[in-house]
Amino acid sequence: MISPGNEAALIARVVSGDRGAFDTVMSAHQDRVFSVCLRILGDRERALDATQDTFLTVFRKAGQFEGRSAVGTWIYRIAVNVCYDQIRRAKRRPSVPIPDHVDPSDPAAEAAIESAALRPEIELALSALPADFRNAVVLSDLEGLSLPQVAEVLEIPIGTVKSRVFRGRRLLALQLGNQNTS
Amino acid sequence: MHKHDLDLIAALAEGSLDDETEARALLESCEECQAEYRSQLEILTILSSAPPAEMTELEKAALHRDLWTELRNPSTNAPTGPAWYRWSYVAAGLFVIVGLVGVLSGQLGLGSGDSAESGEITETTSDLATFSADEGSEAPLLDAAPAADGADAESAPTTTMAAEEAGPLPYAEFAEQARIARESSQRSAPTLSSKEDIDHCLEEAGLTDVKVVEELVLDQRYLLVMPLDETSEQTVTFIAMETCEIVYVDE
Repeated sequence: MISPGNEAALIARVVSGDRGAFDTVMSAHQDRVFSVCLRILGDRERALDATQDTFLTVFRKAGQFEGRSAVGTWIYRIAVNVCYDQIRRAKRRPSVPIPDHVDPSDPAAEAAIESAALRPEIELALSALPADFRNAVVLSDLEGLSLPQVAEVLEIPIGTVKSRVFRGRRLLALQLGNQNTS
Repeated sequence: MHKHDLDLIAALAEGSLDDETEARALLESCEECQAEYRSQLEILTILSSAPPAEMTELEKAALHRDLWTELRNPSTNAPTGPAWYRWSYVAAGLFVIVGLVGVLSGQLGLGSGDSAESGEITETTSDLATFSADEGSEAPLLDAAPAADGADAESAPTTTMAAEEAGPLPYAEFAEQARIARESSQRSAPTLSSKEDIDHCLEEAGLTDVKVVEELVLDQRYLLVMPLDETSEQTVTFIAMETCEIVYVDE
């Protein structure tokens, strides 16, 4: 794990065109970026596209990173914005297609893809959430960020995060319809 | 219920309370609170058991490869997105230039303009309702027809007042109704199939200046609408598609 100070130094080296530094940053964060994109978008191909777009933006905007937040928070913020842009362009499809570059001779790859998928009913329920609530729930309950971290990523007050997470869970529960009031 | 009560319920479900006495007492005294707690706990349990989402090694290699291919591209200011989307910007730029000037030679610069580039959050919930229908989808996401006097500061009170007049259910009751309907073997077919039908339904429900966020919610039984004005209170209103009545308001 890279310390925050070292990460900020890496970003500075990215600004100066250090490819190795960028690869290091990318390797450190690509799984989390992909994860949040997949959970928000619900589609593996679009999540891969969004992951690429996120790191393109990280590279191009590295000079604008001011160090006021952790590098990971900044990258998460970019990823969420990229996903917002994708959602604007296409309706969210709760499917997990096998991407073209999956090696058919690699059973582990297909297994990894299938195992990452949420249950279909949960995907459908997530897809029906308004984006603000979905993003808060994804960051908090699927990605495991603390409420202050979610607030920092989404640039909203902690109280708003609490409200969106609470209401998002409530709406999900309605969608799943498994209330047992007995 | 007060905000403090909801915070307590959420914290109890998350297991983050050092002392659960107050929260437990709240649940014992309030049926609505119990329903809220069950929802929170149910979802937390489901989501916490979700498998990690990871790229395969092949996907990671493809990501690095494609990324560096893109970064080596001379047009490094190209907008983000899939290849076809980038080319649509090129086509649009050509059209504008030719239309404005008539004679231009040389390569055109491409601007991105995406919110992602700025690294700032721009919430685009309002844009969700303006997508055109995808092929094969049952119904498009549609904007409600705005009121004649346009969206204004009254939009939130209009929504709230209509909800109060229509008598929406409390959460526990609505959740139970939704559960029963979901488990029912008799599923109602969608009754709203056109923008006109949806606009009429919203009008019947007394709602103006709202956007339809999702149709086909809860087994196609409800429309889910939110205020067009994103600066107003972000209530989420469920409208029964069969009766066009406001059934539940989440706020």
